[in-house]
Amino acid sequence: MYSAQITRANPTCIILLIDQSGSMADPFSGDSARKKSDFVAEVVNHTLHDLVIRCTKTEEVRNYYHVSVIGYGRSVGSCFSGPLSARPIVPIAEVADYPLQVKSSYKRVSDGAGGWVEIPVRYPVWIHPSSDGKTPMCEALGKAKEILERWLYEHPRGFPPTVLHLTDGESSDGDPNDIGRQIMSLATDDGAVLLFNCHISTRRSAKIEYPTDERSLPDGFARSLFAISSRLPTNFLAAAAQLGVNAAEGSRGFVFNGDPSSIVQFYEIGTSLTGMTPYRWMDDRTETA
Amino acid sequence: MSSVKQSVTWDLQLRQLLLTKLGQEASECEDSLAIDTETCRFAVADGATEAFDARRWAERLAQNWVQREATLTLEEFRVWVAAEGRELQESWNGLSLSWYSEEKARAGSFAAFVGVELDLGTDAPSWKAIALGDTCLLHCRNGALVKGLPLSHSESFNTAPILVASDSTLHESSMRSVAIESGSCESGDVLLLMSDAAAAWYLKGLENGARDLFDTKGDEELSRFFDEERLAGRIRNDDLAIIRIEIKERRVG
Repeated sequence: MYSAQITRANPTCIILLIDQSGSMADPFSGDSARKKSDFVAEVVNHTLHDLVIRCTKTEEVRNYYHVSVIGYGRSVGSCFSGPLSARPIVPIAEVADYPLQVKSSYKRVSDGAGGWVEIPVRYPVWIHPSSDGKTPMCEALGKAKEILERWLYEHPRGFPPTVLHLTDGESSDGDPNDIGRQIMSLATDDGAVLLFNCHISTRRSAKIEYPTDERSLPDGFARSLFAISSRLPTNFLAAAAQLGVNAAEGSRGFVFNGDPSSIVQFYEIGTSLTGMTPYRWMDDRTETA
Repeated sequence: MSSVKQSVTWDLQLRQLLLTKLGQEASECEDSLAIDTETCRFAVADGATEAFDARRWAERLAQNWVQREATLTLEEFRVWVAAEGRELQESWNGLSLSWYSEEKARAGSFAAFVGVELDLGTDAPSWKAIALGDTCLLHCRNGALVKGLPLSHSESFNTAPILVASDSTLHESSMRSVAIESGSCESGDVLLLMSDAAAAWYLKGLENGARDLFDTKGDEELSRFFDEERLAGRIRNDDLAIIRIEIKERRVG
């Protein structure tokens, strides 16, 4: 299980489900200058960038992934705009070709001899921050399920889809448990759909990352999200270990009261898939054959 | 009655195999192998799947290395790789690239590499090899492993070996991982140069008591055999590059 090779013939699917309710306009605790929605949009754009780069073969982007980004708040729907907006799920090569804009900047990297050099970098932007309305989590999970069912009908084999759900609060349209379990019961021949949940908090509460059981969780809402969080397969555990994240056999793909670093790690672990090299490693200037 | 002094010469029996990952076109193969019987040099390179222009980088490393006479010390290798990398990256100048290709090209290209040079000019033939990454040289005698370079155990293969980078600013750290070894041969010895999936599979076979795993098969049969092994998951579905060199003694005089 969770060992199928991701190929163009057998791609996998990644759904990013983002809470865009009004409370996402609030800042993280201790960082009054930064809205949660701004930070999340930045991390999602970076994640899409990394997925594109991983699939880039010289001058071609190979469709190893089909990607959906769904926001929920005032409405539920795709966060993509422009040519991608009407599409519930998009092959990664088309994601690559249709960012809203590509920003240019510089970043400092090691020169390999103890110094630093500035190199030009490109920052494509696909989604803009949004924060408005309530938290229709069940409707959003229902939308994800609908996309998954159609996608799985066409792709019954291969590495199972991954749903990365990020929220800052409780559902405003009911208990997500039922719809979450329905998503987790969908499968390919290589395993069940993976549903990972990251809850972020405005309060200064202790964060709980990748727990193996419910004992440390503070309330019913946390337990409800824990119950609809899949166990991290071995390859994801390896990615967590490389990031220095404390996750063990039996850990759920679940973060409660997460902070900004939790969000970055959540997306990095959640998109690590079958051990494909995170682009981050290339930044560290190594590469794999 | 006069005695006749016998002299010994050495014959090489060579086989090579280059197979593309199942489900991909031959033009997408990122493994490369090169043989030069004049210099007695043999090389295998495996372009990093996620790197920019990895196929050309692997080809360049393997093809150009076998035609050289130096590059078997760390310093010579470093200078040579830097020059090859510079030429490769200069060939990208002027290309009109999308944002993602530009990002990829900026990191440079990467490949695993192993090269071996044989010295057959003496009564006791020997080899000297250089390797970086997880392409391997396996020296076998009577079906058992004498030496493996840089890896000699099937469980040593992981997903993140240090590779030969086209960008020389990375060499300060990566060249520390270069492995250089030498050995001596006897008649009947076999040297195998293999890219990672084949090497991991071969070493696992040896660890499980198998002997030479493909010496009796013809080329077509061998290709079918490797396709079946990959389909069955016993060999990881990857490009495969293999050079098999069998050293045979021939007495003259």
